[in-house]
Amino acid sequence: MNTFRAEWTKFRTVPSNLATLLVAVGLMVGLGALTAYRAGEGHQAGGVFDATYISMYGGFLFAQTVVGTLGVLVVTSEYVTGMIRTSLTVTPRRGRLLAAKVAMFAGLALVAGEVASFASFLLGQAAIGAAGAPTAALGQPGVLRAVAGMGLIWALVGLVGVALGCLLRGTMIAVTVLVAVNFIIPIIGPRLMPEPAGEALQTYWPISAGLQVTTTVQAAERLTPWAGLGVLAAFTVVLLALAFAVFRRRDA
Amino acid sequence: MTGIEIAGLTKRYGGRTAVDGLTFTVEPGRVTGFLGPNGAGKSTTMRMILGLDRPDAGRVRVGGRPYVAAPWPMREVGALLDARAVHGSRTARDHLLWLAHSNALGTGRVDEVLRLVGLDSVARQRAGTFSLGMSQRLGIAAALLGDPRALLFDEPVNGLDPEGIKWIRELMRGLADDGRTVLVSSHLMSEMALTADHLVIIGRGRLIADVGMREFVRHSSGVLVRADDRETLARHLSEAGGQVEPGPDGALVVAGLDARQIGRVALEAGVVLSELTPQRLSLEEAYLRLTHDSLEFQGAAA
Repeated sequence: MNTFRAEWTKFRTVPSNLATLLVAVGLMVGLGALTAYRAGEGHQAGGVFDATYISMYGGFLFAQTVVGTLGVLVVTSEYVTGMIRTSLTVTPRRGRLLAAKVAMFAGLALVAGEVASFASFLLGQAAIGAAGAPTAALGQPGVLRAVAGMGLIWALVGLVGVALGCLLRGTMIAVTVLVAVNFIIPIIGPRLMPEPAGEALQTYWPISAGLQVTTTVQAAERLTPWAGLGVLAAFTVVLLALAFAVFRRRDA
Repeated sequence: MTGIEIAGLTKRYGGRTAVDGLTFTVEPGRVTGFLGPNGAGKSTTMRMILGLDRPDAGRVRVGGRPYVAAPWPMREVGALLDARAVHGSRTARDHLLWLAHSNALGTGRVDEVLRLVGLDSVARQRAGTFSLGMSQRLGIAAALLGDPRALLFDEPVNGLDPEGIKWIRELMRGLADDGRTVLVSSHLMSEMALTADHLVIIGRGRLIADVGMREFVRHSSGVLVRADDRETLARHLSEAGGQVEPGPDGALVVAGLDARQIGRVALEAGVVLSELTPQRLSLEEAYLRLTHDSLEFQGAAA
């Protein structure tokens, strides 16, 4: 608990950290509304239109990089400054230190993510409605799960950042890998690959699978919402387990 | 009290052995100077004491147990390893605040140590704006925060002005007089001469000397002797308990015996003396003589 409190104090006393988190929320809501409006305009009667997913996804694409980067920085800022040695001197139990970082940032990203998801959903529905397309409401089947689920994705993406930061120690390399894993491979990958491989990538790649929880229209070839989230969660757990194993053994 | 016991400590980086079977004990109640040329393994040893680096062999006990097992690490050991290792955007006070939170220390203690090191007026300035001297003070405040029973300072006077150096010296003295264990590393003998009660000198990761300051001073003085029958005199002096080494131009340099004792030995041995000159090496010279052979990087002009 003391270690957790110390991690929270560390985080909030660097002013840019909370500002960056607010930027992530702003990006999600602002860009989400913008892309939702454009998608609403392009809506054609009779086609599949997942107003819930559309209201959040456009903003999430940008926000997730910011959240993940912040997760990376929670660890790498200590390696870059050399402060990791101070941290490990006052908390020599390494598992405890990393667990406190993980818990602190997961909680923070979850709260910020839920706020951003609900705000972006509500604003997005207003934008979609203004564009003349059918909107979704929280009371409809699956919508609450999808919106709340987006907040969970924020937490998981943040933790992928923490794990990568711990494994790689350098901010640049960790952010590069993060962007590749959560942005470039899932978005560009399927276009460059032959059909079956591209399909498999879209179905099983961690972030792509995880985002199924934010949909309300089940595509036959994709995983179900919770199975998809499970894939992303399992991926995150594996990365974190690796990070803990390495962090325990490595010279600081 | 919290002594630090180091036994057979060894650390290798790749093919290089940074610390090689080091064994010594740091006792409470005195300032132990940890001396050695740059690259001798001082910092590595300190990191291993704190469990930051994992030894390849040997062990370290702080207060009888591994440091990692301390229930409240900050009350056990305070360390200043690298004064610049702070996040530049955090204020001095906030830096101490997270440290305090990590070991359930009160905010009052943060303000107390800020006053103690004389940073209370700049407590709300970002640490990134600090001069090296101010950073050192912040690092020392962090080390003192938990009111620890043992303190480790790695080259604490580097980059300090004379006033800062004097301040650190008195601080270390005071901490030892409180009965705390103080281990302070330096590559400068002159610095240690003024502060340390005890010296642990290492070179190339190996122990060269583990000696009281007073004894080191005694050993660093000698008597230059010239005599007709050098070999006979040398033998008799050795038997009398002196350490005899060849000096310049066929002279002998004798340690452990004073001029009067040497004169008496010469008289009893029936050897004619032609010169008997007490000499005093500076501590720096004595130290350099000790570490010379172990210098890792023999520069052209050190």
